[in-house]
Amino acid sequence: MARGGGNRSRLLLVLLLVSSLFLITLDLRGVNLAGSIRSGVSTVISPVENLFSKLLSPVGNLASDVKNFGQSKKKIAELSKQVDELKAKQIIDEDTVGQLNQLKNVLDLAGRGGYKVVSARVINRGSTESFKETLTIDVGSSDGISRNMTVISESGLVGVIKSVGSNSSIVLLMSDPTFKIGVRIAGTQSIGVVSGQGGSTYLLQLLDATGEIKVGDTLVARGSQDGRPFVPGVPVGTVTTVQSNASSITQNADVASMTNLEKLSIVAVVITPPIGDPRDSLVPKPRPTATVYITPSPTPTPSR
Amino acid sequence: MSQIRVINTSLFLLLTFLIQESVIARINFPLGGFSLYIAVLMIVLSLEDRTGSLVFGFIGGLILDLSPAAQSPFGQWALAMTFIGYLFSVNRETVGDFNDRPITFISLISFGAAVSMITFLVIGVLLGQNNGGVVRNLTLIFANSFWTFLIVPIFIPITLKIRKFLLTNRERV
Repeated sequence: MARGGGNRSRLLLVLLLVSSLFLITLDLRGVNLAGSIRSGVSTVISPVENLFSKLLSPVGNLASDVKNFGQSKKKIAELSKQVDELKAKQIIDEDTVGQLNQLKNVLDLAGRGGYKVVSARVINRGSTESFKETLTIDVGSSDGISRNMTVISESGLVGVIKSVGSNSSIVLLMSDPTFKIGVRIAGTQSIGVVSGQGGSTYLLQLLDATGEIKVGDTLVARGSQDGRPFVPGVPVGTVTTVQSNASSITQNADVASMTNLEKLSIVAVVITPPIGDPRDSLVPKPRPTATVYITPSPTPTPSR
Repeated sequence: MSQIRVINTSLFLLLTFLIQESVIARINFPLGGFSLYIAVLMIVLSLEDRTGSLVFGFIGGLILDLSPAAQSPFGQWALAMTFIGYLFSVNRETVGDFNDRPITFISLISFGAAVSMITFLVIGVLLGQNNGGVVRNLTLIFANSFWTFLIVPIFIPITLKIRKFLLTNRERV
């Protein structure tokens, strides 16, 4: 009896393993089984995600807020002053105002670059078990979104649309280890490739062996053919550390992204690339500093 | 194992998956994330008999393959979880009675979650996928196990009650 049960289990195990391998083979051979099913699931859960996005927006960063509690202590005094001011002004809703500012800035960036965009709200982040760095946004095919469109924020590049549902889309973030983008250094025009590292730092590999990288250099997207997956001119990041290695064929550098991917709430999807390359026009300019010249008086006044 | 229980448990897993995708995924846990779904699936697998572990491992993996954020081939999680179901079915008796040793039970769930993620990655490597650096992935897996170990005791009683509710009268006896 036990032997019979064991045989049945083994048969079941083999059957299930073969079924799994069959599904994987179908998927890898291009049968679009997964795409349509996942798109359906995305369509079903996007309203739920939208609802929880509104309900849980203060809770999302709870863990990181607790983690940064020590660092935040210094800011508390400054913030207390601001709280008083804010109370006096009675601003309708801080969150809404913040989102409005982000929206204004992202539209401003898109306008300067000549991109036609659809703005979107971030409604979810990818689950840990996918091992992918993704975001879910609340626009989909019904808003004119399709695969391989560039996603930008108020500061620069965010990622690329990877899959699209009717009312939501999945964005592959630039921090994902599989993410690579062709860039050029603003000003010197040396070209290279920036890769995601799964965290907040990125790796720049300069393709031009004679080119020079300096800390503080700004990188912009070179752009792809027909603007997909990358439109040209979008700021990608700034060089933070140059890795000098004489034996290496390519020059490498660590890069910090323009966009804080942890704090995104409003983004824009570029649906039409610009007619011409905006070149370096989107590179953030350093703020002008006021210089005061003091001319000493020719005759010193006697002091009493 | 009755068909009605397969359906009920699958629906329970699907509901947990929806909660995971729409609520838990929103929370930025330090180091990495926490997968409620994998933890619940591990609890279910650990309490099933040999056939149940295999069947619910496969079904649980298929549900995980539905994740819209997943870029992996459909069926990869099903394969990984079937393997995990097999490991549970083979090794469950050696662990002993979970009611007597709750710490062992929680450790087993955390360890199972880690092994399932490693299995998924290994299958991914065999299929030629690029899932990122080893250190990053190990950090994610460690973080998930750590949070599972801390959080699982909160919802084990609820999961056990739901599972008991899903059993047929005959199975309860």
